[in-house]
Amino acid sequence: MDTMISPDAPVADPIAGLPEPEGSETEERIAVATQWQLMSMRFRKHRLAMASLIIVILFYLIAIFANFLAYADPFKTEAYRSLMPPQKVILWDDDGFNPHVLAVEGARDPVSFKRIYKTDPDHKIPLRLFAHGYEYKFLGLFRTDRHLIGVADDAGVTAEESIFLMGTDLLGRDLFSRLMRATRISLSVGLVGVALSMFLGVLLGGISGLYGGVIDITIQRLIEITRSIPTIPLWMGLAAAMPRDWSVVKIYFAITLIISLIGWTDLARVVRGRFLSLRNEDFVLAAELAGAGQLRIIFRHMVPSFLSHIIAAMTLALPAMIISETALSFLGLGLRPPAISWGVLLQDAQNIQTMANTPWLLLVAVPVIIVILAFNFLGDGLRDAADPYG
Amino acid sequence: MWHVTLKRVRLLIVLTILFVMLISSASLNAQGGGGYIGELEGPTLVLDPAQWPTEFSEAPMLAEKVAAGDLPPVVERIPSEPLVIQPLDSIGEYGGTWRRAFVGPGDGENGNRINASDKLLFWDYTGTEIVPSAAKGWEVSEDGTTTTVFLREGMKWSDGAPFTADDFVFWFEWMYSDTRITTPIADMAVQGQQGRVEKVDDYTVSFVFPGPNLLFVDLLAGDTLIGGGQSVRQSRGTSYGAYAPAHYLKQFIPEVSGKTEEELNKEATDAGFEDWVTRLHFATDWQLNPDVPNIGPFRTVQPINTEAWVVERNPYYWAVDTAGNQLPYLDRVVFTLAENPQIITLRAIAGEYDQQERHILMTELPAIIENQETSNYTLHLDLAFNGSDAVYQFNQSYDADPEIAKWLTNADFRRALSIGIDRDQLNETFWLGAGVPGSAVPAESSPYNPGPEYRDMWSTYDPDLANQMLDDIGLTERDSDGYRVRTDNGERLRLEIQAVASFLPYVQISEMIADQWSDLGIYAEPREYERTLGMTRAANNETQIFVWTNGGTELLYLFPRHAIPVDPTEAFMGPAFAKWFVTNGADGIEPTDPNLLRIYELFTAATGLDEAGRIQNAQEIWKILVDQQYGIGTVGQSPAFMGVRIVNNDFANIPDRTCIAQHCRTPGGSHPETFYFTNPDRRD
Amino acid sequence: MLSFIARRIMLGALTTWVISIIAFLVILLPPGDFVDAYIAQLSGLGQYVSLETAANLREQYGTDQPFHVQYIKWIRRVAHGDFGQSLEFGVPVADVIGDRLWLTMVVSLGAIALTWGLALPIGIYSAVHQYSFGDYFFTFIGFIGLAIPNFLLALILMYIGFKYFDASIGGLFSPEYQLEPWTWEKIWDLIKHLPMPVIILGMAGTAQLIRIMRANLLDELRKPYVVTARAKGLTETRVILKYPVRAALNPFASTIGYLLPFVVSGSIIISVVMSLPTVGPILLRALVAQDVYLAGTIILMLGTLTVIGTIISDLLLMWIDPRIRLEQR
Repeated sequence: MDTMISPDAPVADPIAGLPEPEGSETEERIAVATQWQLMSMRFRKHRLAMASLIIVILFYLIAIFANFLAYADPFKTEAYRSLMPPQKVILWDDDGFNPHVLAVEGARDPVSFKRIYKTDPDHKIPLRLFAHGYEYKFLGLFRTDRHLIGVADDAGVTAEESIFLMGTDLLGRDLFSRLMRATRISLSVGLVGVALSMFLGVLLGGISGLYGGVIDITIQRLIEITRSIPTIPLWMGLAAAMPRDWSVVKIYFAITLIISLIGWTDLARVVRGRFLSLRNEDFVLAAELAGAGQLRIIFRHMVPSFLSHIIAAMTLALPAMIISETALSFLGLGLRPPAISWGVLLQDAQNIQTMANTPWLLLVAVPVIIVILAFNFLGDGLRDAADPYG
Repeated sequence: MWHVTLKRVRLLIVLTILFVMLISSASLNAQGGGGYIGELEGPTLVLDPAQWPTEFSEAPMLAEKVAAGDLPPVVERIPSEPLVIQPLDSIGEYGGTWRRAFVGPGDGENGNRINASDKLLFWDYTGTEIVPSAAKGWEVSEDGTTTTVFLREGMKWSDGAPFTADDFVFWFEWMYSDTRITTPIADMAVQGQQGRVEKVDDYTVSFVFPGPNLLFVDLLAGDTLIGGGQSVRQSRGTSYGAYAPAHYLKQFIPEVSGKTEEELNKEATDAGFEDWVTRLHFATDWQLNPDVPNIGPFRTVQPINTEAWVVERNPYYWAVDTAGNQLPYLDRVVFTLAENPQIITLRAIAGEYDQQERHILMTELPAIIENQETSNYTLHLDLAFNGSDAVYQFNQSYDADPEIAKWLTNADFRRALSIGIDRDQLNETFWLGAGVPGSAVPAESSPYNPGPEYRDMWSTYDPDLANQMLDDIGLTERDSDGYRVRTDNGERLRLEIQAVASFLPYVQISEMIADQWSDLGIYAEPREYERTLGMTRAANNETQIFVWTNGGTELLYLFPRHAIPVDPTEAFMGPAFAKWFVTNGADGIEPTDPNLLRIYELFTAATGLDEAGRIQNAQEIWKILVDQQYGIGTVGQSPAFMGVRIVNNDFANIPDRTCIAQHCRTPGGSHPETFYFTNPDRRD
Repeated sequence: MLSFIARRIMLGALTTWVISIIAFLVILLPPGDFVDAYIAQLSGLGQYVSLETAANLREQYGTDQPFHVQYIKWIRRVAHGDFGQSLEFGVPVADVIGDRLWLTMVVSLGAIALTWGLALPIGIYSAVHQYSFGDYFFTFIGFIGLAIPNFLLALILMYIGFKYFDASIGGLFSPEYQLEPWTWEKIWDLIKHLPMPVIILGMAGTAQLIRIMRANLLDELRKPYVVTARAKGLTETRVILKYPVRAALNPFASTIGYLLPFVVSGSIIISVVMSLPTVGPILLRALVAQDVYLAGTIILMLGTLTVIGTIISDLLLMWIDPRIRLEQR
């Protein structure tokens, strides 16, 4: 029972067990605004969900401002900074408030084969807010080299050479800056994938529920077959069959496509159930009589009536996608270096050397755990709220 | 009768120079070695019959069987002229189980190498001198067309049947020559013409060729299709290796078994096989079939396709120590399945293996070192002789993108990229400082090394010169990110480095190089491919730059594929040229580069040359390779591939440093049959 | 009723057949064939295969034949109960899977038991005490297994086991029992090795179960009969356990059928990391090696189990819920 590898768990159906909205006729009469208000009232009652919402927003802010928050070029390698432990930031010294880090020197111990690093208490490197660093495109709009933190212009060293808030990896690249970039990619892989599987799920589930008959049976078989094939072989087959001269970015989209190809079945089942019950509702009949087209009926009239459920399902599907990406990277199928994702960083930590001597590489798992938990609680809260009469 | 050729005398001269160089290269590395790199050492063969033991003894587990009448006494089991091995440190004690790791049915080489003495000829522990093994000697005729091999009288298969010239003739006539079973190989041919095997008497076999084949003795000793030995060459569906157990295999082959093909096919399908051929291939496979007689020190008792591959002593093994004890000392070797390298490292540092040099990654060294005392093992670092563990091979026959091809085939482009690599950085990060940076040429100790200046030629870091050279060849324009652009359409010049995850983190190494090249304005993207996919792409001429080891190239003629494009299975430097080469021009693309053509010419001519001539040709080939930088060498002569060796402190006769090379069959070259446990508790 | 079952079984058979084709297709989809994979694997292990050998192997294994030829050859054998020969293991597929099958069952059933044992009480508690500290706390515990990347967790736990508890590393048996025949001591050794994989696998699934249990129970608790029961003065425990919990458990019936195949395919990565002698690593290995018959058989096996599970679940639901039964008429 492992969501990491199988987002389409049979028991994973997040809203299957929920009651049908009772007395939907009454509900329809209530203005939409009131329904949302009811929802937000209920949602606020779930305190953990509220906290999670804030965390999720924070993480997406990190994703958006990844380059600004990072202070070192995440691709800059340097052997003599290989596997540096995290560094202390000293805020106060004799002169008062003077945030700085100490210069670090390292060498390989010929007996233990470890790289040993020593700080030089006399060589302070002052830190500054909005300092100059490597150049990047801010929000894809304009070029800048400002970063949230960095070294003072007169420090004589670059941020790459001096700041190591979370230590460095084997290639001497700054882990914190890499983590910022990874957050951006991993959180957006989830979004794209979920959006796609939502679309497929709603479309196929809707068609299935709306038309019934042969179409329904065919789509139901399709769902059954997709669910009956273990996901890993499916991933491996599809991933390997992708044109390999694609760039990392293209592959990244293809991967999300693959994940969503497997992820849609869940939602399709739910949506089908909804459609079956909504099919006979008066407002659908009214729309049909008014001559609305099928697509219009689906997306204009039926989907909004259970949109809140879809949002909840999406929130719960996102963490599954994110963790699928890390699992794919473990299998060597997902995002691969030089791309930086949570899966790639976790893969770098998957060795005995990390456990024994460089445990800071495991820090990468912390944001992953936080985000997955936050999304789950958020989804739960949303789902609870989506049913305002419970 | 004892036969040695003149060749050994010639070798002696080379060896003397070699020895001096070996010591100097060892001391060079010792600084970074932390005492883990020792002196090259190993057991020696006693070739003078006057010094041989006259009394023989055997393992207790065999003595019991002899007493019970299940086995003839030891004197009747070993040949009248056994292989006498002087163990490295001491005469051993019988008994015990060697615990090792293996990674699955594909890892048969793990055991093949322990059984490597089943080759006719072998190399000594330095990997430089050819010595007898299963055969007691050899002789090459004046005209070079006939190589005669002398067998040991009274030597037996592991089931007690005599091992004679008939087993060679059987192999040649009924297996090798039957195209239903196998296809002819270049090892058995001279200038495309196949040779043949002839029985002179029961203990004398000749390999006769239509022309002079001066390389054949080397081929017999090398890890080649003809000389590899039964363990490796008759497992996993192959049928090479010069001899086969006729008395056992006869029953599986039409006619010689007295049965027709139909009858045998029927038997085979009844037994669950496709047809008689697949059944035969199963029957010959010592890893899978415990019933097949072999001549190595160990025979399988539990096959490799299980959780634990177990091999046990061969009661008829034909080697003894100087005190007359029949080898091996160890009762058995147990290989335990591990599904991933982390499990192996973890089990190794927990002291669960007695000697393990396979599947251990260099980057785990600190964890291995710090657990030495608590887990009762010692780390040894063995240095290889090949020039580079990561060679960036530029595909010279690439044709998918003319602009890319134009630069890949431009010598100055390659040279500039080569001097744009800071090898010290790579060495420090991925080899933990224990490798030797430089070009791809083999170690200075190798006779084929063209001279010390070729280690540094186009291989020392000089970014300014590199930038200048790239400007000079016309790559002057740059895009807004500072990367040089293509000359045909003004877009960024994008190179792809193809990396396959293997015993070295090739993807990460390439990431570092890509970062260094970005300082030259060269955009290169490392791309990881799953192993099969990577190899397939390379074979299909789809790769631009492929990074792989050049292991094996220290013996250029026995294993050329990682240095020059002559074998399409691994011809990263020019797959289409390799095809052209092996099909004599019928397929593939003919190279136009005069330097490459010269390499082919020098290589082909070597078969007919004597040792001195071959050395001269090899040196010239290496000179061209380094000057042209078809393959950019980085860091080599390191322990990265099978050189991180973890040895239990109770294990004895273990060399401080052993030869790790394809032809040394690591750990086969240090004769694992002489390993034993000093701790009596481990010997039960 | 009977005709429904018959129709369901027929559809199931059809699905299974389609799965067998897709399985085969998926395995052969990556470029290259078994021989390519084999050569690549060997060259990574220090054994180099020549051109001649490759050509031989290809002819022997028939891996150069077109897809439909290979598929028909295989499916014909499967129809006769013979799953063919594993190319990599060199023995019949049934022998390769053999012992691993039931060890897989042991691990999977253990994981399922743990999942249920954790999820049901937490689910009930958090539904009854909605939005309390306990609700948050226990759900948090239940969800943590879902959030930690379990391949990393497995390695960390193994390392801690080695460093501080002197535990034997990976696998399901200590080295000394590996080769022994089955004895009580060996079974005890197996039991001692089970907790770690079972916990890692089981924890990962609890979140979903907690969520369903909680939602179902909340739903039931709002129903009038609960109010009636309370009004009649039943103790709170009785009110909850007597009917609502049982009703909330109903939907689980629909999942029982495919739990097992699901857990098996979900455990592949963990089995590789911990080197468990289960079906998972074999499947992964077979896929990488394009060992078609072996991989095909395992996928087909899991697929068939799922299909059978679905049918059983459908029947169970019909038996439990009369409304569905009526609808089918």
